[in-house]
Amino acid sequence: MPQGDYIELHRKRHGYRHDHFERKRKKEAREVHKRSAIAQKALGIKGKMFAKKRYAEKALLKKTLLMHEESTSRRKVDDDVQDGAVPAYLLDRENTTRAKVLSNTIKQKRKEKAGKWEVPLPKVRPVAEDEMFKVIRSGKRKTKQWKRMVTKATFVGPGFTRKPPKYERFIRPSGLRFNKAHVTHPELKCTFNLEIIGVKKNPNGPMYTSLGVMTKGTIIEVNVSELGLVTPAGKVVWGKYAQVTNNPENDGCINAVLLV
Amino acid sequence: MVQYNFKKITVVPNGKDLIDIILSRTQRQTPTVVHKGYAISRLRQFYMRKVKYTQQNFHEKLSAIIDEFPRLDDIHPFYGDLLHVLYNKDHYKLALGQVNTARNLISKIAKDYVKLLKYGDSLYRCKSLKVAALGRMCTVIKRISPSLAYLEQIRQHMARLPSIDPNTRTILICGYPNVGKSSFINKITRADVDVQPYAFTTKSLFVGHTDYKYLRYQVIDTPGILDRPFEDRNIIEMCSITALAHLRAAILFFLDISGSCGYSIAQQAALFHSIKSLFMNKPLIVVCNKTDLQPLEGISEEDMKLVMEMKAEAMKTVMGQGGEPANEEAVLVTMSTLTEDGVIAVKNAACERLLDQRVEIKMKSKKINDCLNRFHVAMPKPRDQKERPPCIPQAVLEARAKEAAEKERRKTEKDLENENGGAGVYSASLKKHYILANDEWKEDIMPEILDGHNVADFIDPDILLRLEELEREEGLRQAEEEDDDFEMDGEELNAEEKEALAEIRKKKSLLIQQHRIKKSTAESRSIMPRKFDKNKEFTSERMGRQLTALGLDPSLAINRARSRSLSRKGRKRERSSDNHGDAMDVDMDTPSKKLRARSRSLSLSRSRSRSRPPSEVTPGDGFKDSAQKVKAIKIAKKSVKKRNKDARKGEADRVIPSLKPKHLFSGKRSIGKTQRR
Repeated sequence: MPQGDYIELHRKRHGYRHDHFERKRKKEAREVHKRSAIAQKALGIKGKMFAKKRYAEKALLKKTLLMHEESTSRRKVDDDVQDGAVPAYLLDRENTTRAKVLSNTIKQKRKEKAGKWEVPLPKVRPVAEDEMFKVIRSGKRKTKQWKRMVTKATFVGPGFTRKPPKYERFIRPSGLRFNKAHVTHPELKCTFNLEIIGVKKNPNGPMYTSLGVMTKGTIIEVNVSELGLVTPAGKVVWGKYAQVTNNPENDGCINAVLLV
Repeated sequence: MVQYNFKKITVVPNGKDLIDIILSRTQRQTPTVVHKGYAISRLRQFYMRKVKYTQQNFHEKLSAIIDEFPRLDDIHPFYGDLLHVLYNKDHYKLALGQVNTARNLISKIAKDYVKLLKYGDSLYRCKSLKVAALGRMCTVIKRISPSLAYLEQIRQHMARLPSIDPNTRTILICGYPNVGKSSFINKITRADVDVQPYAFTTKSLFVGHTDYKYLRYQVIDTPGILDRPFEDRNIIEMCSITALAHLRAAILFFLDISGSCGYSIAQQAALFHSIKSLFMNKPLIVVCNKTDLQPLEGISEEDMKLVMEMKAEAMKTVMGQGGEPANEEAVLVTMSTLTEDGVIAVKNAACERLLDQRVEIKMKSKKINDCLNRFHVAMPKPRDQKERPPCIPQAVLEARAKEAAEKERRKTEKDLENENGGAGVYSASLKKHYILANDEWKEDIMPEILDGHNVADFIDPDILLRLEELEREEGLRQAEEEDDDFEMDGEELNAEEKEALAEIRKKKSLLIQQHRIKKSTAESRSIMPRKFDKNKEFTSERMGRQLTALGLDPSLAINRARSRSLSRKGRKRERSSDNHGDAMDVDMDTPSKKLRARSRSLSLSRSRSRSRPPSEVTPGDGFKDSAQKVKAIKIAKKSVKKRNKDARKGEADRVIPSLKPKHLFSGKRSIGKTQRR
């Protein structure tokens, strides 16, 4: 029975077939034609997948070819434009200088007054009420329609207890409650799975903020103690704001970007 | 047995391929078409099914991997250790653990997303959730793709491990590199191990099988071991150490007394003493190889001393078993694999020692009774001192002697062949023993084709006999033909005879026709005896007619018939007892009431053909009484009524005279809206 490295052993003892290398070469040469036949005949999803793969391969091929074609010959290089350089027809004008230099803190104060903050998603699509809530009929003859069920992702907090079902106007189903978010640090470019502390502001309205609904653009507060951030004063930072960047009800998870 | 055959593990696909396989399977095996307008529950179900299906497939594939790879704790410790040496137990367990966690993660993902899908209220939302679920599952698999690649490599290597049975009779060969272990195993078994002049040619265990006393022995060739401290040993040496440690085998320690392996006897002895702890309780034989280069007696004194030390150690293993001290030679043997001198002796010694040891152990174990029949041949106890040799008849003895003599005397064809130059040179003359009329014809060449015919078609040993027989038959047949060869010529008959002939023929054809008609309906018709003659065929008038046609006087016959007929009797009685009533009827063997009624009409008119009322039951009908017959007739009429209305000829008439009658198909709207234009 063949044991150990029997293939190599056979090759050592008997060598290759007399036409082995010829056949190998020819088979490899035929691969090109085979591949093109597959590319032309493959239909449906297989065809699409193959086309995508092939496109990526071709792009890579082209890049390497270009790299090889880069020659070592010298080329003319444009001189960089110096700062403050001015075209000839403007040479006679006098430049005015600003007297006041606006400092960073003043700019911040102005922004605060305006109430605008820099967030990754400044504008968000408004969510209508009938998209946010689903009407639940109740009552003996199912005619009362004052209950609403939230259809988006929500956060309720650890000590949450429902109101008695008879008086509950807004139902937040437990299947749509989330505790953790995938928070990306914009500078480190890495993502952490952090716990949510609370919902700070939902751009669609204060009612949604109070309900804890998280849609795209909501500002949430997350527990960053595992990042190990420290203030200049020496205190440990354990909560930071993040903005939700996806539609959680469509993806089943909350992706957010940390606001630094 | 899983424990020593790892060839049955399925191929482990790498991460990307696994993802492709599962996703394309999901795409093919689940329904693909869904529209926005479907009911929401149907949409949800459609996407939930896909998520579940993908999860199940991943689960299946990953479970298959986990189940098929052997658990190092469940297999024989020899294989457990060997796999640890080759692949590192921790790494192996980690890889399988990762596959297991991936499986659990995928289950959790599927569960969560199926829960979320229940809240999906639009096609887009359900679809996005499904995409997210499948994407997350595939990410999990992508993360474990290095483990999968590692497992695939391990699987390939494991499949090529030799299948060693740890429990059967085994002979283990060990020693320094290049001492001749692989050459030895090549000589005694059919294992084709590579033999090269450089050290560490054998890099793993090889197994071969050999037979001794009708039993099969495994012979295991190990890579050479160097004399190093245990911790410094590399993987290849560890393979042999593992084999030595775990297999209960007879050990052949090979010694190269010529030193051509590059190591002196002193070094080899040092190795022996360092691993002698592994030889505990195992039959050990020290084999001195390469005696063609350097005979055992010719080595130096110190080397001889070392060899004797080794022999003493080996003797201890014999002594420890309580075996006979007489087997001194079986402990230290010499041989040369190049000249094949002493190879078989070594093998026999090793096999014998191993067998004895195993038998002893079996004797001491509790399972002795199962094996006892294999060791012990029961001999009947002699009841007295009388000799009872086997009794062979004298004739048999003589025949045996004669046969022996004949065997010597007779010269066989094979002997002839060998004398005249062997198989390729001498060709036996097959025509030597032909029996022919003339011996000179033996060597003649037979023709095959003559005058365009195959000679073989005409050859027959009894051809003359056959010819005689044929001629006789021919003569007989000719005589017969002459006998019944007389024809009827029309001229020989005269007019009367012609007439008579015509008559006879006509009658015959009539009879035949009648018979045919009767035969064709015979299956459905019951055979009634003549006394129930419905159609009154067999009357005396008929008889009279037939007799006159023959030319005889019928009157006598008719009278006789009439005198004996029953109806006549009845009729007579009828006339007299008409007035009396029923009382008289009981004694008579008269026909039934029905027949009486008939015979009454009989007296009135005889020659007219009678028609009976439909409810009258005649004996051949098969009805119990007239009520039944009436009912039957009614049913028959009812079944025919519908067909008659449809103007059908019978049950099988399905003719549609015109398939699309014009008066029904013209002048209407084609969609059936109105029936008029």
